[in-house]
Amino acid sequence: MKTSLAFLLDALLGLCVSSMLLQIIIPELTGLSIAPVIIIPTTILWLAIALLRKASIGLLFVSSKNERPLPNNVRAHMGWIAFCTSIVAGWIVTDISPVEFFSSEGLQGAGRIFGALLTPEFDVLPAALDAMVVTIFTALMATIVAVPLSFLLSFPAARNVMTGGAIERTIYVLLRAVLNIMRSMEPIIWAIIFSVWVGIGPFAGMLALVVHTVASLTKQYSEQIEDVDQGPLEAISATGANRLQVLWFAVVPQCVIPFLSFTIYRWDINVRMATIIGFVGGGGIGTLLTQYQGLAKYNEVGTLVILITLVVWTLDVASARVREALR
Amino acid sequence: MPLLSVKNLSHTYPNGYQALHDVSFEVEAGEFLVIIGLSGSGKSTLLRCLNRLVEPTEGTILVNGQDVTHVSDASLRSHRSGIGMIFQHFNLIPRHTVLSNVLYGALGTTSTMSSITGRFTDQQRQRALSALEVVGIRDKVENRADALSGGQQQRVAIARALMQQPQLLLADEPVASLDPATSHSVMDYLERINKDLGTTVICNLHFLSLVRRYATRVIALKGGHLVFNGKPEDISDEWFRTIYGEEAMEVDIR
Ligand SMILES: Nc1ncnc2c1ncn2[C@@H]1O[C@H](COP(=O)(O)OP(=O)(O)O)[C@@H](O)[C@H]1O
Ligand SMILES: [Mg+2]
Repeated sequence: MKTSLAFLLDALLGLCVSSMLLQIIIPELTGLSIAPVIIIPTTILWLAIALLRKASIGLLFVSSKNERPLPNNVRAHMGWIAFCTSIVAGWIVTDISPVEFFSSEGLQGAGRIFGALLTPEFDVLPAALDAMVVTIFTALMATIVAVPLSFLLSFPAARNVMTGGAIERTIYVLLRAVLNIMRSMEPIIWAIIFSVWVGIGPFAGMLALVVHTVASLTKQYSEQIEDVDQGPLEAISATGANRLQVLWFAVVPQCVIPFLSFTIYRWDINVRMATIIGFVGGGGIGTLLTQYQGLAKYNEVGTLVILITLVVWTLDVASARVREALR
Repeated sequence: MPLLSVKNLSHTYPNGYQALHDVSFEVEAGEFLVIIGLSGSGKSTLLRCLNRLVEPTEGTILVNGQDVTHVSDASLRSHRSGIGMIFQHFNLIPRHTVLSNVLYGALGTTSTMSSITGRFTDQQRQRALSALEVVGIRDKVENRADALSGGQQQRVAIARALMQQPQLLLADEPVASLDPATSHSVMDYLERINKDLGTTVICNLHFLSLVRRYATRVIALKGGHLVFNGKPEDISDEWFRTIYGEEAMEVDIR
């Protein structure tokens, strides 16, 4: 089972390396185009070397710490080949071009935009401040709505709470899985979804942030719950308290301060995310910024960038201070 | 009828380690029973089986003749609320006041709603205050529990246990993290509760000098087996070596 998974990984890696080499690097360097079927034999060759020389790289990923395969020269070479191929292919695909970066035309463009950013047009300031307020409150409301939800969800998402048998175990595993999926979807994706659902604007942005915040906070909260000192739990259980009372009187008091700290940090992160979400229709300063950028009004953009930087920096410092004081 | 009767009790932890082997003993009401044994011999496991913080794998536990080995839910909670417990590390709720901590001793007999909304009755508050009186720290009611010294914290923990008005008090190495003078003071409170209130005490202890001073009876565990059951004065040098091993030497704390 494990070894077949390992060889599947090797086959995938071989496929990637062959594709990069045959479809990106060689055509770019020589101008030749190569039929995609050629990838199949090269992948098989890669897998054969891995198998015959006991140089499986996949095995490194599926084996546990104490059964790691021995160091192996062939594997090291194959690893380097994969690494270097990726860098070369990456260079080609992302159009990295030092020539453009340093060309006089390019430098002129850079000068124009930096110049504009550095001579901000302060006429937009009232509108910008309004939009900033919207962004900050979007983040605040998202955090506030997410906190009670996260609090309630964090208990069934904590392993040391869900100890009552198979059903609880299943709920725990499912909840964790759903939260992980929710968390791995970027808020910007949620913002796109919600801007179609409820229309473009701060409400869509808030909903997007709520989803992401619930997923993140629940994870942090539940990890804190898993980390509490078991002593008070035993003591409260020993008084004959029921489960809810044990959670409320032995677990919660150990968690409030860390929960507060996570929450404040989350709000800080949410202000930044609310800005980004604005780019795709989440309202607030982000939306304003895309509008001016679309009109190529870089002096106004400059004002917005300065404002965003100031607010993010202030919040960053303030939230760090508060969290420090909470310790 | 004995207050507590333990028959053929065994416990195996989920990892397969058997911590208790076929342990049987009885405790009469009013005794001050001390459990001794090397660390790892199963003392804490035994104590936790009695109030079912640890589930016995085999055997039976009778309290006043009633089988409590397999009771669950409300009956389990009522079984637990009749047994107070104190711990080596006190296990108070940090940041909460001394009074709150003592009131938590009444959780087993208070509804979830009233307890979570903090509505303890005046009668419960009175009981908490008199429990604090018993252990001599009534003046600290409004202090934060984690701001007290170790000895004071253990006394609050005793008051929390008294709040349960228990017929039996379990103490798991109650003085192991205290200095010798404080140890004696805490043990004196336990003794007074045993003598004045008639509460039966079962206490795990490390130091034999404390055992001789406070115990009315002693049982000894070795590798999860009960190897001694008798009067403290009957622990001869030979018994001592059996329980603690050939290399052991008795030390005194005063
Ligand atoms: N949760 C547990 N899982 C597995 N083994 C445990 C657990 N708790 C205790 N043990 C083992 O059981 C034995 C008895 O432990 P314990 O009852 O704490 O002994 P004592 O209180 O006498 O020091 C020890 O060997 C200990 O390592
Ligand atoms: Mg112990």
